[in-house]
Amino acid sequence: MLTAEQNDELTQVAAGTPMGELLRRYWYPVTFTRALEEFPVQPARLLGEDFAVFKTPRGKYGLVPEACPHRRASLAYGVVESDGIRCPYHGWLFGTDGSCLDQPAEREETNFRERVRVRAGHVAELGGLIWAYIGPEPVPELPRFDVFVMDGVRDIGWAELPCNFVQIMENAVDPHHTEWLHGRFFEFMARHQGFDAPSSFGKKHVKVGFDAFDWGIIKRRVVEGASEEDDDWKIGHPLVFPYNMRVGGANIEQMQIRVPVDRTTTRFMLYSVHAPAGVEYPEQPQVPDYQIPVFDERGKHRVDYVEGQDMMAWVTQGPITDRTVEHLGRSDVGVTMLRRMFKEQMSAVARGDDPLGVYRDFRDRIDLPCEKNKFDAGGSFAIDFIDRGSSRFSPQADALKKLHIKAMENRKAAGG
Amino acid sequence: MTAVRPEAAGSGLTGGPPEPDLARGWFPTDAERHRRDAPKYCPACAAGLSLAQGGQGLTTEYWTGTDRVFVCFCGACGWSGDIVLADRVVGHEAAD
Repeated sequence: MLTAEQNDELTQVAAGTPMGELLRRYWYPVTFTRALEEFPVQPARLLGEDFAVFKTPRGKYGLVPEACPHRRASLAYGVVESDGIRCPYHGWLFGTDGSCLDQPAEREETNFRERVRVRAGHVAELGGLIWAYIGPEPVPELPRFDVFVMDGVRDIGWAELPCNFVQIMENAVDPHHTEWLHGRFFEFMARHQGFDAPSSFGKKHVKVGFDAFDWGIIKRRVVEGASEEDDDWKIGHPLVFPYNMRVGGANIEQMQIRVPVDRTTTRFMLYSVHAPAGVEYPEQPQVPDYQIPVFDERGKHRVDYVEGQDMMAWVTQGPITDRTVEHLGRSDVGVTMLRRMFKEQMSAVARGDDPLGVYRDFRDRIDLPCEKNKFDAGGSFAIDFIDRGSSRFSPQADALKKLHIKAMENRKAAGG
Repeated sequence: MTAVRPEAAGSGLTGGPPEPDLARGWFPTDAERHRRDAPKYCPACAAGLSLAQGGQGLTTEYWTGTDRVFVCFCGACGWSGDIVLADRVVGHEAAD
């Protein structure tokens, strides 16, 4: 339970609030590389602010506030040129650094152009995603986490959710929900709706544990039949502060990304890399992305797949869950740890320090700890993961299953 | 149970706190006890913990058995720890 003031502070995203200032210290994915290849300017909303993100014919990326400083028309409808983006209304041109390069209807001899610079963000491409940084200088490094740079077959499912991102992140430090939401509830729905629920999710939690580390919080669990020697405890998987969770198992490596679009909207992205050993990966000129369903045709939550169940639990808590009327128990110790971490890092920013996860020395690849043998379920987890998770909506779902089966057969044939 | 609406608390932040979620379940006694009993000052440096009193800390309450545990963080000195309101003080417990 929190007070209303604490809940208010924890769930803000606006500039000038402690949480909004903390969140502006990180890079976020704002669109897909594919989208800018198909059309060179896209709208992007991040932390309650609207932007236009673009790619010039020279291959340079830019991010500017959506409203043109002239008379507020949208630069997301702008004309992309080799030097930047030009407003569709009166042709003002802005470079990727935010400087105004042209005002066609104004007289040349004035210094008007120099007075209307826009606050440009920084943009980079990594792993099929376009990332933006809109915080203060100096700009930190964009973390090259393992999933974004490793070999394998990539696949990105996504949905836009009508709730604050913190309640989604609290789910990332809540191992117990798995055996209920993805176990008992899944079986219940399967019985009533006539489909098969996977058995691997329903195992009882014997023990859970949490450790703070350089990138966030490592979550550990021992499920019934397993021990502390198993991957789920020995390695665990991390909440990557402040808005990601790294998860994986059975040769599927995944980053669950929860972008705070605004205070009550979160873009949920499932960035998966299918990387089984013993098979060659096909070329991917573009990373496929696809929208996963949140609601059915009657407006009720789709709960016949794992992430659909998660989204139901997050969204039904309300746009901003009211933490003044919750009842936390001992099993919620991870949730309290995360709230404390948010608060600690808000304080760090207020002192002028870099918060957790902001780093400034380039690293080619950052490996995160993540279990391989998920829920002690063995190799069958890969097929469960595709059949009963969001990957079933992927345009390449069948090809992904074939990839894992082929790899398993090859490894068997090789005696692995 | 009759729902009692808490007095509106201004946060000093943009927009103020959201209205309490009255429609879908409401536990006024618990919420009021939380506000009353949550530690207000840091045990290490005596700075305020409560935002409402100008502090920069955090107190998250959870329940275990009959105990109420306040997980505290002080933004002024960085102290962090649990403060437990316990019905009974247990002298000895068997080791795990």
